Amino acid sequence: MTSMFHRSVLALAAVALLAGTSAGSAQQQDKNRALKKYESGTKEFWTHPPDDWFLGDETEAQKGLAPPSGPPTGASDAELANLVKKIKLPPGFKIDVYASGVLAARQMAWGDKGTLFVGSFGLGNVYAIKDNNGKKEVKTILKGLNMPTGLAVKDGALYVIAVDKLIRYDDIENKLDNPGEGKVVYDDMPSYAAHGWKYIAVDKEGWFYIPFGPPFNVGIPPTSVSQIRRVDPKTGNAEIWALGVRNSVGGDVDPRTGKYWFTENARDWVSDDLPSDKLNMISKIGEHFGYPYCHQGDLPDPKFAMGHKCSEFTPPVLNLGAHVAPLGMKFYTGDQFPPEYKNNILIAEHGSWNRHKYQGGRIMRVIVGPDGKNAKQEVFASGWIEGDQGYLGRPDDIILAKDGSILVADDWAGAIYRISYSKK
Amino acid sequence: MRVVRSGILFAALLLAPAGQAADNAAIKEKAAVCSGCHGENGISQTENIPSLAGQPDQFLQWQLVFFRAGSRKNDQMQPIAEEITNEDIRNFGAYFSQMTPPKAEEDKDPDLSKKGAQVAIGRRCASCHTDSFAGTKAVARLAGQREEYLVKALHDYKAGARVGGGVAAMADVAYHMSDEEITAVSHYLAYFR
Repeated sequence: MTSMFHRSVLALAAVALLAGTSAGSAQQQDKNRALKKYESGTKEFWTHPPDDWFLGDETEAQKGLAPPSGPPTGASDAELANLVKKIKLPPGFKIDVYASGVLAARQMAWGDKGTLFVGSFGLGNVYAIKDNNGKKEVKTILKGLNMPTGLAVKDGALYVIAVDKLIRYDDIENKLDNPGEGKVVYDDMPSYAAHGWKYIAVDKEGWFYIPFGPPFNVGIPPTSVSQIRRVDPKTGNAEIWALGVRNSVGGDVDPRTGKYWFTENARDWVSDDLPSDKLNMISKIGEHFGYPYCHQGDLPDPKFAMGHKCSEFTPPVLNLGAHVAPLGMKFYTGDQFPPEYKNNILIAEHGSWNRHKYQGGRIMRVIVGPDGKNAKQEVFASGWIEGDQGYLGRPDDIILAKDGSILVADDWAGAIYRISYSKK
Repeated sequence: MRVVRSGILFAALLLAPAGQAADNAAIKEKAAVCSGCHGENGISQTENIPSLAGQPDQFLQWQLVFFRAGSRKNDQMQPIAEEITNEDIRNFGAYFSQMTPPKAEEDKDPDLSKKGAQVAIGRRCASCHTDSFAGTKAVARLAGQREEYLVKALHDYKAGARVGGGVAAMADVAYHMSDEEITAVSHYLAYFR
């Protein structure tokens, strides 16, 4: 099997060379080049990550699929008003725009005095959204951070995680105009940008669950990543709670058991329908979730299984579907939604970038008991995808509001939505 | 329902041309501040300042958003970008993207271009910047850009002074490039027709 693969790659390369010389132009050659072969199972690979770490490994049929780029200034208010009309929800639910102009919005966290803090992706901003008599004022309070996607508020302080630094800004709600430089409270983290963006879930003891993604699609990861740590922001002490995790950018602590559940984005470039992204639960400290050896609980990696069997690893609670890109998630603990939603999990799916027909880009509802058995999922909110490869928006995080409604962050439209329920 | 829809359509027909003309005049006035450095018609005559004419709309908008957020640093551009609204950014993007891009002059060093072409293949420039190097969406037009500016941009990416979009693809590409490669590929692209 392996030798056949090599032979066909060589054949392809020869064809490409011939085609290149006959066509003559540089561009033609580039187009006909053989697919890049990655040697990601070496240390060299991640100490000097290749320029196209998120590509490579693609098949001929997948060539040309690349991350789409959203509107740089988000969606305008007029576009958002139009957009929310297209979102489908179960009966009795309603979606409104909560705030616009929150460019590249990622994880959200509430301050004790009602300020909504929002992280962002490549822009490096952290926002504070205040309610001024019903009108939402969006203020950029921090700038120039390195992908500050994850944040949390605890004891009046805002914690922001920017790839390799967990930074604390004390008494934040009284210092929105001048939060200061902050204090780095934990930095035992590698600086890889690739899958280095993070998420924070606070547990009952006030420790933070933080995911560490590998700096590539698939390979043998550096031992400092592909894991989930539990970090005490007070002391900087840390524990490794889960191993074998690829790119996780969302999770929540089960209000029933205190256990940590998290979403995980599976490897790319197998096919449009494999492998599935996952919802996982950590039952005990140190569990291994399979990456890079086994995907979706039952699919040994074609190259990196390296003799391991899927039965060696903790299986997912639920396979969510291929390329749906599950990110932020929350247990629904509010009282506004119908009672059957209590303790269900709501997951924001960012949607595909390297699937021929995009899927995800919606909010899913997972119904599951505290043991994680017999989980079921159904679509809760959808309509952000148009056509095969078009986005109106991309949900990426969920947070509960005091009144039991939920807020949804969207980094494509640069907006926060509110979804509420009222009996008819 | 039908009445409403045709009513909206009618209103749109009436409003669109007038609104657009007004916008164009307003944006032209605002863009006057740009031409001091970026040149009349968006074609720069100034060393180390890029031409903007014919750059993709989204690329232009992203750069302004990056300057405003401080993730792209430049002493001249940052104070200007801090003052501008999302609407301005959209208008500037539309305005400069619709201008005729600069046409490359005659290549006086075809040997260097040949080397540059090989670099462009090796670094897979065309996979994002397209075969004509005209750019698309969030990806810059390179064909006909000022040579020394391309050199500067690549050095900025290489040094990590500029990150860019697309999962920092340019920072990662440039990190591996030698000075020789940068010189050659910049020449090739500046004279690409």
